[in-house]
Amino acid sequence: MKIVVCIKQVPETNNVTIDPVTHNLDRRGLAGVMNPFDKNAIELALHLKDTATEDVQVALLTMGPDDYAESLREGMAMGADTGYLLSDRAFAGADTLATGYVIAQALKKIGDADLILFGRQAVDADTGQVGPIVAEFLHQPQITYAASLRLSGKNEVTAERLLEDTKQTLVAQLPAVVSVRSELNTPRYPTPRNIQLSFDKPLTVWHHDDLDLDDSRLGQAGSPTIVTKVYAPKPVKRELTPLTGTPSEAASQLIKALKGRQLI
Amino acid sequence: MPSTTAAAEKLLLQMVDDYTEREISPEDMPMDAAGDFPAGFMQKLTDTGFLGIMLPQEFGGAGFGPEVTAKALNHIARGNASTAVTLEGHFKTIDQILKFGTPALQKQLLPSANDRIFAFSMTEASGGSNPLGISSTATREGDHWVINGDKIMITNGGLAQVYCVLVKTAPKELSVFVVDQDMPGFSFGKREDFIGLSGTPVGEIVMDHIIVDDDHLLGKLGDGGIIGDSAHDDARILMGAVLTGIMEHELKIATDYAKERKAGDTPLTALQVTHRKVADIAMRKETTRLLYQNAAKLKAAGQPYSEEAAMAKAHGSRAAVSAGDDTLQILAGYGYSREYPVEHLIRDARAMEIAEGTVEKMRSAIATAEFNK
Repeated sequence: MKIVVCIKQVPETNNVTIDPVTHNLDRRGLAGVMNPFDKNAIELALHLKDTATEDVQVALLTMGPDDYAESLREGMAMGADTGYLLSDRAFAGADTLATGYVIAQALKKIGDADLILFGRQAVDADTGQVGPIVAEFLHQPQITYAASLRLSGKNEVTAERLLEDTKQTLVAQLPAVVSVRSELNTPRYPTPRNIQLSFDKPLTVWHHDDLDLDDSRLGQAGSPTIVTKVYAPKPVKRELTPLTGTPSEAASQLIKALKGRQLI
Repeated sequence: MPSTTAAAEKLLLQMVDDYTEREISPEDMPMDAAGDFPAGFMQKLTDTGFLGIMLPQEFGGAGFGPEVTAKALNHIARGNASTAVTLEGHFKTIDQILKFGTPALQKQLLPSANDRIFAFSMTEASGGSNPLGISSTATREGDHWVINGDKIMITNGGLAQVYCVLVKTAPKELSVFVVDQDMPGFSFGKREDFIGLSGTPVGEIVMDHIIVDDDHLLGKLGDGGIIGDSAHDDARILMGAVLTGIMEHELKIATDYAKERKAGDTPLTALQVTHRKVADIAMRKETTRLLYQNAAKLKAAGQPYSEEAAMAKAHGSRAAVSAGDDTLQILAGYGYSREYPVEHLIRDARAMEIAEGTVEKMRSAIATAEFNK
């Protein structure tokens, strides 16, 4: 079985700036770390590897500059077997659609992936869109926000989705694309020894010419998303009403106030 | 792209920081109050591979060098000094087996150092800085050795399973043997009730007619003094790293508090008296860092580092106590309270003015080295 986990490197700090021309996040000069939610997807893949009766190979895939290899190494130190880095100036400035396109083309080249995993979303842009986009490009079934997942039969996975007031149980035929919630598991730490050994594992870098790509779908030019304005929302001034007296009296005041506003 | 070595170091320290923030720092205050590691704490540390950071890869470890190993302890000590000191005691012992053990002994013992803690024991009731005053002996009987004696104040004593013990093999001959807690005749004695480094057990072992073969001798007969000095040197580098971590913790407490607190209408950050203290803490921290990193660099390069290691510990231990005192003064009443960690950081740092050779002994060693230049 082959599992490919798609990961992203995000700025280490919350103190990001916005590019005044493109209105995109300006990542230049910022130290990067692996998107924390992607560690849940890696942990799921490694758990399946640890518990499966058959041989499971776990590959990591990311798109970005050369230094994104650091996140691939970290994932390989957690236990993944191989890493793929998609790196080319032609990919720069991509929105989720252009990113999903390149990742899907890379997945076709890797070939034979039974399960493609994503973290819930990236903490820098918070879209959660790339996983579903990749599933559409590959014409594969998708399950988003999985809170649990198990191999439920040959070529089949069963996942639970926790929605606001509903729990869904979904079964998908493999190959499939799944994005996972952070509640799914607690990612393991890379051990010091595995950190060292991760540098002996294969890491493949693919540039533009290594993939079968339609240039009109790449980078900024291939991105239909246009950010016209980015601004910080103005803080809303809120009314503060102190509740006084004993807890019982305070509760009565609260109920009275909520009823007065027809909120309960 | 950085070199493999630099990239591995970065990943290791990133993991250490992550682990320290999530698993070690939250236990700092409870550990001091309880006087021990919490249940499962050491097992998790072991399972995550911390015991093998500097153990060569051929023995199942990670094989990081002296500089990275010291930095890792520095980072751990930002969260809790006891955890870092327990690892220091383990690493210095492994170092001596690597330096002086036969290939057969290394092959026999070191793979288990990934999940068993090792300790080095020299001190006896007769004193710690006078090795020839010890009473423990190894006596030749037939084709084996019989070890008798009582060792006290061992870092990790009671926690460790493997011990390098300094004994007399002749009236004026010191040697080191390796014993295991599972050997007949081995037992644990009392645990010290120290005022600081409360997580790290410091205790006694009793050796009553322990029988070992020649292969458990470290180095040659009579090498005990050299091995003991070597263990001290290696420990002192790591203690400099631990002390730097303590001072980083102290500095953060001092600056966080100063940025929040006012004296009357004046923020503490605007007062020269605060500037003086914060600057002194920062300078002490940085000088200790430079000293331990220099000693570690010399060790990694195969150069002599005994004097530099002594400087790191002698300077760093007093520096960390003084930095803690300044931090306490900035926090005033809160600093004197057990609700804040400052007071226990001072107690933790104070231990290192004594352990692995007193600061007085360090200064004698440094001065002697200077006279001999």
